[in-house]
Formats: sequence, C-alpha cells, structure tokens
Amino acid sequence: MNAPNGPVVELKEITKIYSQGEIDVHALNGLDLTIRRGEFVALCGPSGSGKTTALNLIGALDKPTSGEVWLEGERLSTLSRQQLSHLRRDRIGFVFQAFNLIPVLTAYENAESVLALQGCPATERRDRVMSLLTEVGLKGMEDRRPHELSGGQQQRVAIVRAIASEPAVVLADEPTANVDSETADKLIEIMAQLNQDRGITFIFSTHDTRVMERARRLIRLVDGRISSDSSTAAT
Amino acid sequence: MLAKMAWRNLWRHKRRSLLTLLSIAFGGFLAILFTALQDRSFADFIDTAARLGSGHVTIQHPEYLETPTLNRTVQLTGQIRNLPERDRLVLHVTERITGQAIVATANDSFGVVFIAYDPARETEGTLTFGEGLIEGEMFKTANDRGIILGTKLAQNLGAGLGNKVVYTMTDRNGEIVSGMARLTGVIETGAPSLDQGLCLVPISALREVLNYGPNEATQIGIFLSDSRRSSLVASNLNRELGPDSTALTWDEVQPDLSAFIAMKVGGARFMEILIAILVAAGIFNTLFVSVMERVREFGIMVAIGYSAGQLFRLVMWESLWLALTGLAACGALTIWPYYYLSQHGIDFSQLVGGQDMEIAGVGFSPVVRVGIFPEHLIVIVLAIVAATLAAGLYPAWKAGKVEPVESISLV
Ligand SMILES: Nc1ncnc2c1ncn2[C@@H]1O[C@H](COP(=O)(O)OP(=O)(O)O)[C@@H](O)[C@H]1O
Ligand SMILES: [Mg+2]
Repeated sequence: MNAPNGPVVELKEITKIYSQGEIDVHALNGLDLTIRRGEFVALCGPSGSGKTTALNLIGALDKPTSGEVWLEGERLSTLSRQQLSHLRRDRIGFVFQAFNLIPVLTAYENAESVLALQGCPATERRDRVMSLLTEVGLKGMEDRRPHELSGGQQQRVAIVRAIASEPAVVLADEPTANVDSETADKLIEIMAQLNQDRGITFIFSTHDTRVMERARRLIRLVDGRISSDSSTAAT
Repeated sequence: MLAKMAWRNLWRHKRRSLLTLLSIAFGGFLAILFTALQDRSFADFIDTAARLGSGHVTIQHPEYLETPTLNRTVQLTGQIRNLPERDRLVLHVTERITGQAIVATANDSFGVVFIAYDPARETEGTLTFGEGLIEGEMFKTANDRGIILGTKLAQNLGAGLGNKVVYTMTDRNGEIVSGMARLTGVIETGAPSLDQGLCLVPISALREVLNYGPNEATQIGIFLSDSRRSSLVASNLNRELGPDSTALTWDEVQPDLSAFIAMKVGGARFMEILIAILVAAGIFNTLFVSVMERVREFGIMVAIGYSAGQLFRLVMWESLWLALTGLAACGALTIWPYYYLSQHGIDFSQLVGGQDMEIAGVGFSPVVRVGIFPEHLIVIVLAIVAATLAAGLYPAWKAGKVEPVESISLV
C-alpha cells in the first residue's frame, strides 16, 4: 500500500444521483478510476460533466449513491463522521475555486491552520510554513489578511495550507478559474513544481486548455463518465 | 486559536457588533440602576421603618403586636443593654414607650401617637425627628420635662413654645392618667400623618405618669448595621428571652410595609427578566445573522478539518467575547451615573408636589439614591453572561451543522 506507485485514490463503479424534486440528476454514471502516488492529474470536461462531484467524493465531503471510494486502502463508506473529519484534516489537502481562506486569519495563520488543527508544535509549523511560503513567492506577505492579497496570492496561500501537512492527495477544484491566465500559469507551475520536488499527488479540475497541457495525466469526463484518460510521458 | 479567531470575528462587522455591545451595556446599565434603586430604597425603607417602628429587631411583649396596650411591657435587662458589645451586627439598643394619647390645650384636643424615648440611647440613625425640628429644641436627657409636637398638631392646638399641653392616656390598669408639660419643640417631618398626629415625650417623665419601673418600656429597639440580618439576630435573641418578651423583625412588626416592599422588589425582578430577554434577543440576532452569512466559510473550515465541535466552540467564544466586552462597556457606561446617584441622588420633591412621600404611614425622602447589594450585582453579571451564552447556543449548533458540499458551492 505504501509502494511508491501504489494507488492513493480508487473509485469503483461510482454513481451519484442528485434528486431535485421530481427529477433525478445523474452526476456520475459508473465511474472507475485509480490514481497513484505522485500523479499530477487534471480532470476536464464540459460544465456539468461531474468534475466537482467526483472531487467532493474523493475528498470525503459527500457520499456516492452507489460504489465505493478508497483512500490509501481505506473504504470511506465504513468511516464515521468524525473519522471522515480527521481523514480530511490529515490526508487530504483542499484548494477551492475562490475565497478559500479564513478572512480573519493572516496569510501565515491560514497557511498553518491545518497543521495547527493536527496539533503540530508551533516551531515546527513555523519552519515548514515559512519555507513553503517562500517557495511559492509569498515571503514578506505572511502578516497580510486575505483581503490584502490578490486572487493569485490567496490561491498560493491555499496551496501552502493544503500541502503543509503532507497529505496523501491535494484536490483542487478549478483552482485557476478566478485568476487571469498569467497567474493561472504561475499557480500551475507552483503545483507542478511541488509535485515534482516533493512527490505530492495532485488532482485538479479545469476548463483551461493551457492548464490541461501541464497535466501529466488528463482525464476527460462527459456526462459523469470517463470519455478519455491519457498520460504524457514524465518529463 | 479559536478564542483569537472569535475575537477577530467579532470585529468584522464593527457597526453591528458595536450596536450589540451597546445593547448589552445599556441593558446591564438599566438592570444595575433599577436594582440599585430597588436595593437602596429597600434598605432605606427598612431603616426608616426601623426608626419609626422600633429597630430592625424589636423586643416587646408577646401580645403587644396584637393589642398594643400599655400593660404589655418588657424590661431592658443588662444583658440586652450590652448587646452592642456582644454582637458586632448590633449598633444601638433603644428603649421606647409608644401608644395612643389625647393631647389638649385650652383651645382644643386631638388624638395622637406618642413616642417616649431616652435621648441618650437614640442617635440620628435611630430617631430622625431632630432633622425636622423647626422651633425650640429636642430633649437632652430622659429626665427633661417638655413635650414636642408635630407642626400641624401644634397649630391645630394653638400651642406655642412654652404653652402648657396636657396628655391623657389609659394606664396598665385601665385607669385614665395624665401628665402636663410645656411645649419645648415643634417638628416638621413632611409626612402628613406625623405632622398632624405625633407627640414626643422624655421617657422618665412618662414612666412617672404611667407608674413604670426604671427599665420598663413597651419596645426595645435593636438597630443593626445590615437590615438583612434582622431575622438572624431576632432568632438568636428569642433563644435567650424569657416567656414575657419576644423578638420580632421589622417586617413582623410592620407587615403593611413589608408587603409593599415585596411588591416593589417583584416589580424589579420583572424588569430584570424583561431586560435579559431583550438583550438575549439582540445577541441571538447578531450571532445568527453572522453565522448564516458565514456558511461558506464554515464549509471550508469543515472541509480542511475543523470538527463540528470546534465550530460550535468558535461561535460560543464569539458570544462569550460579546458578553465580556459588553460587560466592560456596561461598566464604563454605568460607573459615573451610579457614583453620582449613590452620592447625590435625584430629588423628586418637585414631582411629588413638594411633599414627602408617605407609604403605609411612613414618610420617605423624595431624594432617590442608589446602592446595590453586592450579591445582586453578581447575579446581574452572571445573568448577562448566561443570557449571552444561551443566545449563542443555537447559532453555534447551526455552525457545527454546516455541510461543506452545499455551502462551498455557494460561491
Ligand atoms: N447539490 C446538487 N444538487 C443537484 N444537482 C447537482 C448538485 N451538484 C451538482 N449537481 C448536478 O450534477 C451535475 C454535475 O455537476 P458538477 O459535478 O458540479 O459538474 P462540473 O463540476 O463538472 O461542472 C450537474 O448536472 C449539476 O447540475
Ligand atoms: Mg465544478
């Protein structure tokens, strides 16, 4: 299970049906997917194709209608609410589309918040978070509040928060959707670098073809099913 | 960390928080002043009642309360005389003879209540009539020979200083006895019933007229430093006293007045509860709105690993900060008005038409002062904290219930 290329995330015959009054929306229709340690995966597909739904299921934020989600060999359906909460805290990093940060905390406090929740000692937190903030180019901005940062800078803080605790996988739902293309390039560059240097597994969804190009594995969803799954050779 | 976040969250909407703090502060301000007014007038009523009746605790004949006749007397023993030395709650012990009499001059006669007392045993704290002296002088010793009348009574009798006044009463054997004295003083209390119907005589003169022993009186008054200890002192005394005398508290001696005070205190409780509900409603509204507008933020917090319990505690911290900051503001708002009202008071004499208020036959000063009992202050402070925390419970529970998927999609 801890093999260098072992599966981190496994989705088995996942369906997700949202009931909206009379109508059932089939967001996912029998999704099978395995993601291995160290992969850098983009989920793409038209709006409504099920990208967000899939990421929410992997992140234990929601439960599938049928099928099983496994994370590092653990079946999520067997875990209690509290175990799921700990699993999210300890093994998953989240980056959302926008407004990721807690407005009353500084950049530094946001970045260290997951580590703090885990009970990591303050000095160790400081070392890890400061070096990551430096790595993503935010040195000197650690005391700013989110509203004093640009959208791209906020996303970088969110990325640092997501990876600081070295989770099994970082899930990023359209992390570049709310920033300009130059900033999007930079963000994806940062994620790619972290993936390469630290071997962190990333799964992100995107609309942006330039972002897709940077992925080493591109999974296309259509109507809640995988329509294509292609890997480019590792660089 | 939660405490720090909560503190900062409080200041996110400055105007809203300030308004809420102001409402807590103002609610607390009202509650404290109301209660302080109540407590002070409660204490003042009782002290006034004690002066007019006979002490916070009165020793009298067991049947005197039912039938206050002059044959029902008690003896001021050495043991009771020494009470101030034995019990530090006891300030003064007085001896008085009170009852009804008819006073007459050559012109007219009127029924009165008389109080015969020993000037050496009384102070300004036990007998306040000296303040109202408008003519002549008060008695100096128990053996003085004069008589002092209420101003209206003196007028009605057509008596001036130095004129002869005859007082007549029924003695212990049912015989009519009378004494004669020259008018040596006139007092004005402001209370109509006293000004029209009060007569003071020195106790030794009256003992002669009534044929009493040197330590005999109808009432022995015991004055305390804290009126709320009356029943304790009374019950201690009752263990010492023989069958011919009994110790009663001021409210047993004057049930009318005690009923009136109970009613007033009930009114204050009602005000306090009303204030607490209004304050709690304001806090609830603030916290509820602030939780509802942060649903997405809470969703993200749940996603990254905050537990429901942590979000609950976060909001409870916010309400605790609100309470503590509100209390601090309340203190700042209350301290000066309170100080002023406790020292100077407000004079309502204009409102009551220049006359003193009279309740259950007792005259009261129209100057209203405040003075809260410490335990009531503690209750108010705790009630504000409790009301704030109670108001925070539901919003906090709501925060703990936030589902990340639904909330995060609300971009
Ligand atoms: N909470 C929900 N309730 C009802 N339908 C939903 C809900 N969330 C998503 N859907 C529907 O599920 C489908 C997949 O949505 P989503 O996973 O958000 O797609 P994507 O992220 O690829 O745009 C869409 O048709 C969407 O309308
Ligand atoms: Mg989406």
